[in-house]
Amino acid sequence: MLDQPTHSAENTPQLSRRSFLKTGVGGALFLGTVSMTAGLSGCATAPAGRISAVDSRMDAGYQFKFLSKDDIALFEALLPAMFVGALPEDPSERQFEMAATIERIDQGIVQFGAPNQKELRKLFDLLNFAPTRILLARVWSDWPSVTTKEADAFLNRWRDSSIGLLNNGYIALTKISNVAFYGHENQWHLSGYPGPPVWMMDALPQFKNA
Amino acid sequence: MSMNDPIARGLASGWNVVDARKLTQNQTVEADVVVIGTGAGGGTTAEILSKQGLSIILVEEGGLYYQKDFKMDEQTAYATLYQEGMSRTTADGAISILQGRCVGGSTTVNWTSSFRTPDQTLNYWSQKFGLEGFAPDVMAPWFQGREERHNMAPWMTPPNLNNDILRQGCDALGYSWKTIPRNVNGCWNSGYCGVGCPTNAKLGSLMTTIPGALDNQAQMFHGLRAERLVMKQDRIDHLQATAMGSDGVTPSGVTVTLKANHFVVAASAIGSPGLLLRSDLPDPHNRVGKRSFIHPVSATVARMPAKVEPFYGAPQSIYSDEFNFKNGHDGPIGYKLEVPPLHPGMAAGVVPGHGQQQRDNLGQLPWLQSVIALLRDGFHPESPGGTVSLRDDGSPALDYPMTDYLWKGIRQSYLDMAEIQFAAGAEAVQAIHMDAAWHTSWKEAKAAINELPMKPHRARIFTAHQMGGCGMGSNPEESVVNGFGEHHHVANLSIHDASIFPTSIGANPQLSVYALAARNSVRLAQKLAAKS
Repeated sequence: MLDQPTHSAENTPQLSRRSFLKTGVGGALFLGTVSMTAGLSGCATAPAGRISAVDSRMDAGYQFKFLSKDDIALFEALLPAMFVGALPEDPSERQFEMAATIERIDQGIVQFGAPNQKELRKLFDLLNFAPTRILLARVWSDWPSVTTKEADAFLNRWRDSSIGLLNNGYIALTKISNVAFYGHENQWHLSGYPGPPVWMMDALPQFKNA
Repeated sequence: MSMNDPIARGLASGWNVVDARKLTQNQTVEADVVVIGTGAGGGTTAEILSKQGLSIILVEEGGLYYQKDFKMDEQTAYATLYQEGMSRTTADGAISILQGRCVGGSTTVNWTSSFRTPDQTLNYWSQKFGLEGFAPDVMAPWFQGREERHNMAPWMTPPNLNNDILRQGCDALGYSWKTIPRNVNGCWNSGYCGVGCPTNAKLGSLMTTIPGALDNQAQMFHGLRAERLVMKQDRIDHLQATAMGSDGVTPSGVTVTLKANHFVVAASAIGSPGLLLRSDLPDPHNRVGKRSFIHPVSATVARMPAKVEPFYGAPQSIYSDEFNFKNGHDGPIGYKLEVPPLHPGMAAGVVPGHGQQQRDNLGQLPWLQSVIALLRDGFHPESPGGTVSLRDDGSPALDYPMTDYLWKGIRQSYLDMAEIQFAAGAEAVQAIHMDAAWHTSWKEAKAAINELPMKPHRARIFTAHQMGGCGMGSNPEESVVNGFGEHHHVANLSIHDASIFPTSIGANPQLSVYALAARNSVRLAQKLAAKS
């Protein structure tokens, strides 16, 4: 997908950190530590539950089961970069699609089951905990203050990194977001997918009285 | 709900089906045989044994989904029908694992390709693993029997353009191709096999052997996770199982104890070794979970001048074995070429990307065509497979290191697939690789593919076929079960799924699982009848 692959290693001074992260075990242990530290230091790692509409601009009826308030802020910063040219221009429509996508991300993660949820918790905590966000994502401000351009630069860094663990983080973030966004009916027009054939829906019993 | 649906009709007629998510009290149940898993292996086993008059309990971790639930929607299907909500990967996250988790297992979501185990594979098993009775002519009746049971036949409807491009490219280059046999009856040619067949045309376990077993008084628990096989002296006494809660993935705390004379494990090449490891069953030579194979899958995507509409039409109808066996077992790795369907969610998830580039790529979806290569792993010394082990919480995970030998095959497959796509008239071709770009000529693509780094997390690798981990063989020092799926060390335990394959198959494995499970179940029924 890349025109000019770049490697962030050139401007990453901490070689020892790189080699540390290259080992899967080291990486996993490191993420484990972050997750614990993040919890102890007061990061919002608990599911956000029902958020008031004013607070988050979300549908107040949706009950978050996995994503914390910090995770939601993370996705609110990343999605405009992920879906540049794809999100609606109209501000209220745009906000609706963003909120709906984040809710579907939450719903999807619930079905991932405990082991993968644990991995994602580590990833989100790493991105939400200021020291690791700065060190590994090289994002200096907290997510609500991050511009679309900065979010895009972060995604590019992780995509093009020579560190497999960061590539993996990029793939996890984009995969869950892409499936939740492009896979939904409201976005089918973007991929020219007309949806299930109407003649089938007219003929099949499971679409009756729906 | 329509009473033309066999599942709705069966439930209404009083099938003994328990949704364990609704259980509020612990309970103990008993049968002649407990079968763990309802996919190709478990369904076949349950039907054959129940027809012999044995009492059967089927155990399935996933839910019972059927026509009323199959609404041709990707997001719902991925969340409910696939392992880990479609997020399953190898331990390092580098390989995506597509695998069913529902009644019918992967046969509920597969793309219906129905191949016999290739002769080369059967002969290799006979020679290398001391297995008797696997000669192609001896196995032929078992394949034929299952082809009849599941209505498998070459797809006579013209292929969709997505598949026809593979045929055109092979024709142009003088490569062989053939029509894929499919397990369907009255197929509407719609393209939604992967999200649960909306028309009941697909004759996987859900439409054949599961109803067959339930009609013969088998009992089925779904939403129930097989936790541990518990031994008493030298035999398994019972299975300890955990009910899922209302979300289908979190245990509710309710347990079910299942007692039986015999236990058949058919929980997949990841689930079965996982269950054996959790149960701490005798494994003196440390073989459980070893030699796990996945048919590593690489992919290229082509932009065609005409609309392909890769989301519609029978998803797999043309294949090429041009490169599968030409180097034998000692040369460079072989691969089977097929075509995947492309729906927007799947396409957006498979192709990692973001921003305008991702949007532009997906905007071309109606014109996109894709070819995949399924690498035939497990035959060469430099393809020893992966390992299933347990995570801290007892869940199984597959570690699958890609060797240089495999990487060479991945690169060569990109080249062969791109050449075929250009030969079929592609405007541009791109490998599904983080560092790949679109190329508008074969010459340019060839040069670029030869420079791509072959590394985990850069090349995007997939698997839809999990095999091995409880391999069969005559020598207990090198295998877990014998050639009939009977455990080497525990008398009342059999394994009837793809986990017993000692290598990969070299073709989509569902018919191999059906046939072996049928053969081994007929033998098991005879043995159990003789005892009683």
